[in-house]
Amino acid sequence: MLAVKLLIREIRNGDVLTLLFALILSVSTVTGIDLFVDRLQTSFTIQSATLLAADRVVRSNTAITNERMEYAKEQGLETAQKTSFSSMVFSNEGLQLSQLSAVTGNYPLRGSYLVDDDLFGAGYSVEDGPSEGDIWVSSRLASLLGVGIGDAVQVGETDLTIRHYLVRDPGSTGSAFAIAPRAVINQDDLLKTQVIQPGSRVRYSLLLAGNEDALNQYEAWITPNLEKGERWRTPKSGGQGINSAIERAESFLLLAGTLAVVMSGVAMALASSRYVRRHLTQVAVIKTLGATPKKIAQLLLSQLAIIFLVGTGLGLLLGWLIQEVIALSLASLLSTVLPAASISNLWLGMVTGLMSLFAFCLPLLMRLFDVSPLTVLHPAGKVQLKSLQLYIIALTGMYLLMVVYTGGLLLPSIMIAAIFMVAVAIGIIGYGLFKLGRVLTSGAVSGWQIGLASLHRRLMGNLFQLLVFTLIIMLGLILIGVKSSLISDWQRQLPVDAPNHYLFNVQEGEVKQISDIADNLQIPVSEWYPMVRGRVVQINGQDADLLYTSDDKEPELLSREMNLTWSNELAEDNVLLEGEFGGNVNGLSIEEEVAKEIGLKIGDTLGVKIGGLDYQLPITSIRSVDWSSMRPNFYLILPQSILSDFPANYVSSVFIDKDNVQSFYKKMADFPTVSMLNVGDLIQQIQLIIAQVSQAIQLVLFFILSSAVLVLNASVRASLDERLEEGALLRTLGASKTLIRQSMLVEFGFLGFSAGVIGALAAELSLFGLQVFVFELAPSFHPLMWFLGPMTGFVVVSIIGLYAGKSVLTVPPMRMLRSL
Amino acid sequence: MKTNLAIKTQNLTHTVKTAADDLTILNDISMSIEEGESVAIVGASGSGKSTLLGLIAGLDVCSDGDVLLYGHNLSKLDEEKRADLRGQYVGFVFQSFHLLPSLTALENVMLPGELKGDKDAKRKATEFLEQVGLEHRLQHYPRQLSGGEQQRVAVARAFASSPKVLFADEPTGNLDSENGKMVTDLLFGLNEKQGTTLVLVTHDASLAQRCSRQIMMSSGKIIESLGKE
Repeated sequence: MLAVKLLIREIRNGDVLTLLFALILSVSTVTGIDLFVDRLQTSFTIQSATLLAADRVVRSNTAITNERMEYAKEQGLETAQKTSFSSMVFSNEGLQLSQLSAVTGNYPLRGSYLVDDDLFGAGYSVEDGPSEGDIWVSSRLASLLGVGIGDAVQVGETDLTIRHYLVRDPGSTGSAFAIAPRAVINQDDLLKTQVIQPGSRVRYSLLLAGNEDALNQYEAWITPNLEKGERWRTPKSGGQGINSAIERAESFLLLAGTLAVVMSGVAMALASSRYVRRHLTQVAVIKTLGATPKKIAQLLLSQLAIIFLVGTGLGLLLGWLIQEVIALSLASLLSTVLPAASISNLWLGMVTGLMSLFAFCLPLLMRLFDVSPLTVLHPAGKVQLKSLQLYIIALTGMYLLMVVYTGGLLLPSIMIAAIFMVAVAIGIIGYGLFKLGRVLTSGAVSGWQIGLASLHRRLMGNLFQLLVFTLIIMLGLILIGVKSSLISDWQRQLPVDAPNHYLFNVQEGEVKQISDIADNLQIPVSEWYPMVRGRVVQINGQDADLLYTSDDKEPELLSREMNLTWSNELAEDNVLLEGEFGGNVNGLSIEEEVAKEIGLKIGDTLGVKIGGLDYQLPITSIRSVDWSSMRPNFYLILPQSILSDFPANYVSSVFIDKDNVQSFYKKMADFPTVSMLNVGDLIQQIQLIIAQVSQAIQLVLFFILSSAVLVLNASVRASLDERLEEGALLRTLGASKTLIRQSMLVEFGFLGFSAGVIGALAAELSLFGLQVFVFELAPSFHPLMWFLGPMTGFVVVSIIGLYAGKSVLTVPPMRMLRSL
Repeated sequence: MKTNLAIKTQNLTHTVKTAADDLTILNDISMSIEEGESVAIVGASGSGKSTLLGLIAGLDVCSDGDVLLYGHNLSKLDEEKRADLRGQYVGFVFQSFHLLPSLTALENVMLPGELKGDKDAKRKATEFLEQVGLEHRLQHYPRQLSGGEQQRVAVARAFASSPKVLFADEPTGNLDSENGKMVTDLLFGLNEKQGTTLVLVTHDASLAQRCSRQIMMSSGKIIESLGKE
C-alpha cells in the first residue's frame, strides 16, 4: 500500500515522528493520569467502605424486613446485620450505660475489627465479630466496670464473657456522636438479652457487599422505596470528614488531569500545524505528478489513520506503564496496595487520540486536499492555514476533550475562559511590549536592536508563540501552586497532631479538671465549646413541619435536634462568608451548606426551640466550615445571651499520641459520664488520602513539565525556518556570530520572559479562583511564581531557541539559504 | 482523440482579484505547440510566462478561453480529471527542484510510477538516474545533494513518468553555468530520445536558443513567436 510505503519513508524526515510523539504524549498523559486517578478513587472508595464496614448499608429505625434481605440475596450480594442500641451493662462492681452493637458472625463485610487482650492496648485486626456468648468491651468500659478478660458481665437477661478489649469497630468510626463506651456482642445473643422492647431506640443496619452492578441495581430498587426512618448509606455518605477529604482529593486530581489535557491539546495542535505546513509544497508537487485530489485525500487520510492507530496504541501502552510506575512508587511510600487499573478505562485515551486528530489535525489536513498544484510555481498561492475557523474547531475540540475527561462543564468552561482571557491579554500586552521594545531601540547595530526588531516584525507569529509559551508556563505554575500551596494548606489543616479524640458531655465543673489532666500529660486541648440542644422549628415565621412534610426531603437543619453553641471568635477552620460575627451581634451564624440547602440568607429569621422556649433569631452571618479539620464544629452558633441561661455540656477535641493513650483513658475513668470518641482512624485515612494526592500531583506535575519542555521545543522549532533564514542573511551581510547569538537570545529571551510574567499573572489569578471558589481555602499570594515564571521562561525558551537555532551559527550561510 | 497538436490555447485570458480591482495577467492568448516541438517562453519578470506555463500544464484553470492538451479541454475539466491528465501526459521540472525532502533520490524518481501503481517503478527509476549520471547517488537524500544533482534528480523524475509534454520552469535558474549546461543537455537529450514535447520558461538566452521556437511575452500578451532559423 502506497500510503504505508510513503509514511514509512516520511518517518525519517521527522515531521511524522513529531506528530506521532505528540499523539503518544496526549494519549499517554490522559490515559496514565486517568487510570491512576481511577485507581486512587477506587482506593478511596475502598477506604471509605472500610469505615462503613460494607459497600452499602441500609439503616433503619425498625427491624430490617425480609424483603430487603431477599432482594439482596437475589442480586448475589453478601449481607451482614448489625443492631445498635444503648443498654446498661452490669458487672459485680457496678453498672454503666453503654453503646452496644449486636452483629452477625460475618460482620464486618469490609475492613476489620481492631481488638486487644491488654487494657488500652493498640490492637490487632480480627476479621469476624464476637462468637455467641462472648462480648468485646472497650477498655474504657472495662475500666468503668472494673472487669477484665474472662470476666462475665450481664446485658439484660443474659451473661456474656469478655473475650477481647474492643479498640475499633470499623462501622462506627465515622458516626461522630455515639457517646457512651462501646461493646459488641453476637446477633444470636440479642434475643436472649431481651433488652430490645417496643419503644426502644434501636438502629438496625443491613450491610451489603458485592459487585458494583449488583449494588447499583439494589440502589435503584431501594431508593424509591425507602420507608420512613430508613436511610441508604454509601461510602460517599459516610463521615463528613472523610467525604470532604475525598471530594477535595478528587478535585485536585481532576484539575491536574484537566491541565494535562490542555497541555496535550496544545502539543497536538502545534505538531499538526507543523506537519501540515511542511506538507503543503509536497502535496502540490505530488499533484503535479498526476495524483488526483481523491488520491491525495486517500493517501493523507490513510496515513492519518495509521498514525492514529500506532500513536494511540503506543500512547495507551505508555499510559498504562506510567500509571503502573506511579502506583509502584506510591506503594513503596505509603505501604498501601492500590486496586488494579481497569482496562475498560482505556477508552478515554482512545477518545483523546481520536478527538486530537479530529480537532487539531484533520481540519488542517483537509486544507491540503485543496492545495493548488500551482503552489509549486507561485508560493503566494498557498492555502491559508491560520484562520478563525481552525482556532474555533481546535478550541471546541479541546473543550469537548475536557468535558469528556471531567464529566462536567464547570472546569472545562473555566479553563477555556482562562485560555481566552490569556489570549486577549497577550494580544494587548504582547503587542504593547513588542512595539515599545522596537520604539526604544530602533536601528540594527546591536543584538538588542535586531532581536527586538524581529519580535516586532513577525508580530502575529510571535504573539501566537507567546500565547503558547504563556499557556504552558501558566499550566506548570498552577500545578506547582496547587502542589506547594493548596495541598500544603490542606496538610496544615490536618497536621500530625490534629485532634484525634472528641470529648463530649463534659459538665462545666469538669472542664478544668480534664484540662488539668491533659496539661499534665502534655496533651493539647482545643477550645471548649458549650453545647445546648435545640431544634429549628420555624423559618421566617412559618412552621418547619408545614414547609417540609415528606420525610426524605427534609433538610439536614430541620431533621433533628442539634447542638447549639456560642462563641465570640470565629474558629480557625471557619471562614466568614457573609455578614458579621462576634460577641455584639444579636443573631445567629449558620453554616454555608445547610443554609444553601434551604436557601437561607442574611436577614432570614429562624425560630429555634430550646428547652421548651422559642426564640426568633435573624441570620447575621454565614460561615464555611472545614469539616475535615476534626475539631468540634457547629451548624448554628447563637448569641451567648440566649444560651447561657441553659445548662450546657462542653465539647472539645484533643490530640493524644500513642504513648499517652493508656494514661489518659485511665484518668478519664474518673469521669464516667464523659464520653470520648476516637477519630484517630478517620484522621489517619484522611492523612493517607492527602499523602496519596500530594504524591500523585507531584508525579503529574513532573509529567506535565516534561511534556511542556517537549511542547516548547516543538513550538520553537515550528517558527525556526524564518528565523534561520534571517540569521543566514545577516551572516552573509557580515554579521558576527556573537551579534546573531545575541539577537536570538534577545528574541527568545524576551519571548520567554514575557510569557513567564503573563503566565505568572494568569496562574496567580487562577489559583486565587481555585482557592476561593473550588477548594474553599483562604486566598494567598504566591511570590515564588513571580520569580519562577519569568526566570524559567527566560532560561528554558532561550536555551531551546539557541540550541534549535545553533545551525545558523555553524552551517555556512549559503548552504543554510539553499536548504530552506 | 489523437492529434498532432500537443497544446492549443484559444483566447486564453487570466485575471486575478486584487484588493483594488481585477488584474489581467494573461490577455487573449491564442497559440499552439506541436508534438515533439521544443518551445521556450521568454520575457521580462511579471510578463505572465510562469502563469501561462501553469495554465497550459493544467496546474490551474484560466478565467476565460480554452486550453487544449492533446485535445482535452482543460478549462472544462475539474481538478480530479486534470490531475489524471497530468499523470498521463505531463512531466515537470521546477526552478527550485521541489524534491520531497523525506525521500531518497531513487524514491523521488519512483514516486510518479508508484502513484500510477507501476510495479516496475524501481527499475525504471534506477535507469533514469543512471541516464542523468546519478547511479552512485540513489540512496542520498535531497539535502545531501548539490543543486545541480538535485535538478538532475528532478529531470529524471520528470522523464520517469514517460510524459508526452515536459514543462520546465526556469530549470537552470538556480544553477551555476556548468550545472546549468549539464541539466540543459540532459533535458534536450532525453527530449530527443523520447520524442517529448518540451515547453520551458526561462531567462537564460542560451537555453532559449536551443529550443525550436521562442515565444516572447510582455504584459500578458505574446508579442512575438520566433522559429529556429
